[in-house]
Amino acid sequence: MARAWPSDAEVAFALAVALGALAVALILLVAIALMRHVRRWRMERIAGAENGWRDALSEATEDPHDTRLAPIGRLEMPAFLVLWNHFQESLKGEAAERLGVLLTLNGIDRHVLRYIRKRSLRLRLIGITAAGHLREQRAWGELERLALHGGSIESFAAARALLRIEPRRALEVLAPALSGREDWSLARIGSIFQELGPQVVTGPLVTMLLKRPKRGLNRIVKLARFGHRDRISTIVRGWLGSSDEMEVLIAGLDYVEDDSDLPWAKGAARHVEWRVRMAAAKALGRIGGRGELAVLLELLRDPIWWVRYHAAQSLTHLHGLEPHELETLRENARDAFAADMLSQALAERRWQPVRLT
Amino acid sequence: MRTFILGLEWFFLLYFVLINVGYIALNLLAIPSLRRKTALRPLEDLPPVYSGFEPPVSLLVPAYNEEATIASSVRSLLQLDYPEFEIVVINDGSKDGTLEALKQAFQLEGFPEVYWRRINAQPIRTIYHSRTHANLRVIDKVNGGKADALNVGINASRFPLFCAMDADSILQRDSLRRVIEPFLDDPTAIASGGTVRIANGCTVSAGNLERVELPRNFLALLQIVEYLRAFLFGRMGWATIDAVLIISGAFGVFRKDAVVEAGGYKADTIGEDMELIVRLHRVMRARGEPYKIHFVPDPICWTEAPESLAVLKGQRIRWQRGLCESLHKNRDLLKTHGAGGPPGLLAYPFFMVFECYGPLIEVAGYVFMTAMFLVGQISGLAFGAFLALAFSLGFLLSVSALLLEEYAFHLYPRFSQMGMLICVAIAENLGYRQLVTYWRLIGLTRWLRGARSTWGTMTRKGSWQK
Repeated sequence: MARAWPSDAEVAFALAVALGALAVALILLVAIALMRHVRRWRMERIAGAENGWRDALSEATEDPHDTRLAPIGRLEMPAFLVLWNHFQESLKGEAAERLGVLLTLNGIDRHVLRYIRKRSLRLRLIGITAAGHLREQRAWGELERLALHGGSIESFAAARALLRIEPRRALEVLAPALSGREDWSLARIGSIFQELGPQVVTGPLVTMLLKRPKRGLNRIVKLARFGHRDRISTIVRGWLGSSDEMEVLIAGLDYVEDDSDLPWAKGAARHVEWRVRMAAAKALGRIGGRGELAVLLELLRDPIWWVRYHAAQSLTHLHGLEPHELETLRENARDAFAADMLSQALAERRWQPVRLT
Repeated sequence: MRTFILGLEWFFLLYFVLINVGYIALNLLAIPSLRRKTALRPLEDLPPVYSGFEPPVSLLVPAYNEEATIASSVRSLLQLDYPEFEIVVINDGSKDGTLEALKQAFQLEGFPEVYWRRINAQPIRTIYHSRTHANLRVIDKVNGGKADALNVGINASRFPLFCAMDADSILQRDSLRRVIEPFLDDPTAIASGGTVRIANGCTVSAGNLERVELPRNFLALLQIVEYLRAFLFGRMGWATIDAVLIISGAFGVFRKDAVVEAGGYKADTIGEDMELIVRLHRVMRARGEPYKIHFVPDPICWTEAPESLAVLKGQRIRWQRGLCESLHKNRDLLKTHGAGGPPGLLAYPFFMVFECYGPLIEVAGYVFMTAMFLVGQISGLAFGAFLALAFSLGFLLSVSALLLEEYAFHLYPRFSQMGMLICVAIAENLGYRQLVTYWRLIGLTRWLRGARSTWGTMTRKGSWQK
């Protein structure tokens, strides 16, 4: 039988592809070796300089004018700024400011400004972060552009830098993005708000809350916890009777603080959305008394576990209700789920953790 | 006859071309994501600042006969760097002293907790709370397998995200923080997983990874290159086009309500981790809801690889059966009338052809070509060309994985380490990959025969643990 396949040309082609693949693999191996050499050479240079940088940065936190920083080469500059950013993140107040002075005295602020405009994302991020720590006003325009029009990570890094440079002005510029950009996580914004403190963020938060934007109100309401509670509370509680938006109601219930809010809290206990009923259960436990017993017992029979759990927790903390009365309530509960949940809440109250030495 | 043989030859050739083009495409897709990852490092490596908005997480640790290691595993989990998390250990009817070891180490006491059974699972016996750690609970339940144990964990968990993991997964202190980052930035995130690396040879102390080294065992070394290929361009490439079909059961985080709505883990499935991901794709796409399954390329979880052929064989057979089950149980992902998107239109067919039935075609291809050579239908030169092509493309893919590792992570910094990995990249093509393909074929046939699934037990040596 004659050979079916392959022809000599096809064999030659297969061999050529095999050789081609091997050649590419060899090129990749050379690339790995080169990458290693470059990385090692760079790491050695940085390692040699890094101890000196650390000493200089530590000294500069005391007195930047007396600190001698050896000249830093173009290739080592990103590594130095990464280290400087690390120092900045772990310092506050005057020590952080002195580190900034060190950069200016050594002309490194010019590199920071240049990095913000670099094509490399890595260098841009190093520059943006450093500009924020430096409170570099000259970078404002470029940072604003990046914050409003850049991609997720870059825009947020720029927003963070703006908030460090001039918080109040930045909050005005960034207000629509803070509420509207869902790719800016609340956790990250929250960490900045925490850093800025209630003195700075309360005013802008109140302004944003009063505007009551249709899009992103739930985000602002959540961020409101970083403001002064008394000023925020007045606004948010006012929404309890006029909003059907779930997140707004939940936030409002978190702020209820006296008897005058009880009608809203009781109304929310009948809401169709379970998370609102859960927030109502928590609120009633905080501000309620014997008069709210019936509502809480009703919530104790809720189909959702979490509503029952918080109703039971609230019952164990309700003003004027004695422990033996809770036991009686548990024993007389006709609903087995309610009785079990009350047992759990009572056990949690009695639970004594052991302190580890 | 001649036409039939010719047709078969072209079929095998076409398969060979397509699978390699597919892998090279995944490799190219992974490059921009890894480039971006390295660019973001100056930000990601800054000390974390927590705001209180980070979603709390329930770490679900299913345990079956883990008496020797469970206490130290839980201790290392308690040290994770994350603002709010709870640990829920689910003792799945262990026959050894797993529960006793936990009771002793963490002063456990039975607690009258109300159990919310949202997903069907085997009954629980007792829920224990720890007197020493407020965020630790242990659930003792009737044996039902890992998937069933995870379902009980989901039912008992208190937080909106849960992390499914193996009791013996080795984590770094920042592992949880890194794998949860996608949930902070993306409100549509429903799952996130990361790269699993091999811990053999590394120094592990009290459940935490301290130093990365290569293993001395040759079989474990072979698996290092294999894992690099699987994660660095396999999953990373699919992640770039939002088509990840696997998040390792060793460490993955999920949005609880999405998983509960999808029905939780399937207790009758051997590859419950992959099945859940494929089902989540199917369910979310059928509903038309926006969602995203993320993959974090950072090495966040380390696991012990088998060091004996028998154990490795068992593992690969189990993995193959799990893969086949997962794909076939979710065939509808392919039929979502164009709404399947990249997972349904690209990843699913790729996995079905090359990962599920691939071993059958590959083994048949090897047998066919050898037979044709032996009966003189193919010349020695042509047969040699076929083998050379298979070897060189396999080597190229392994080297490209090493390049990605070097570029993005550089976990093996010594020249001797990289030299060793390059030798392994050559050696694995000379028998190992073929052997694994054969084991996968066994897995495929066992799945076709419908053998029953059980807990995936693997003999672990843990000799590198301090």
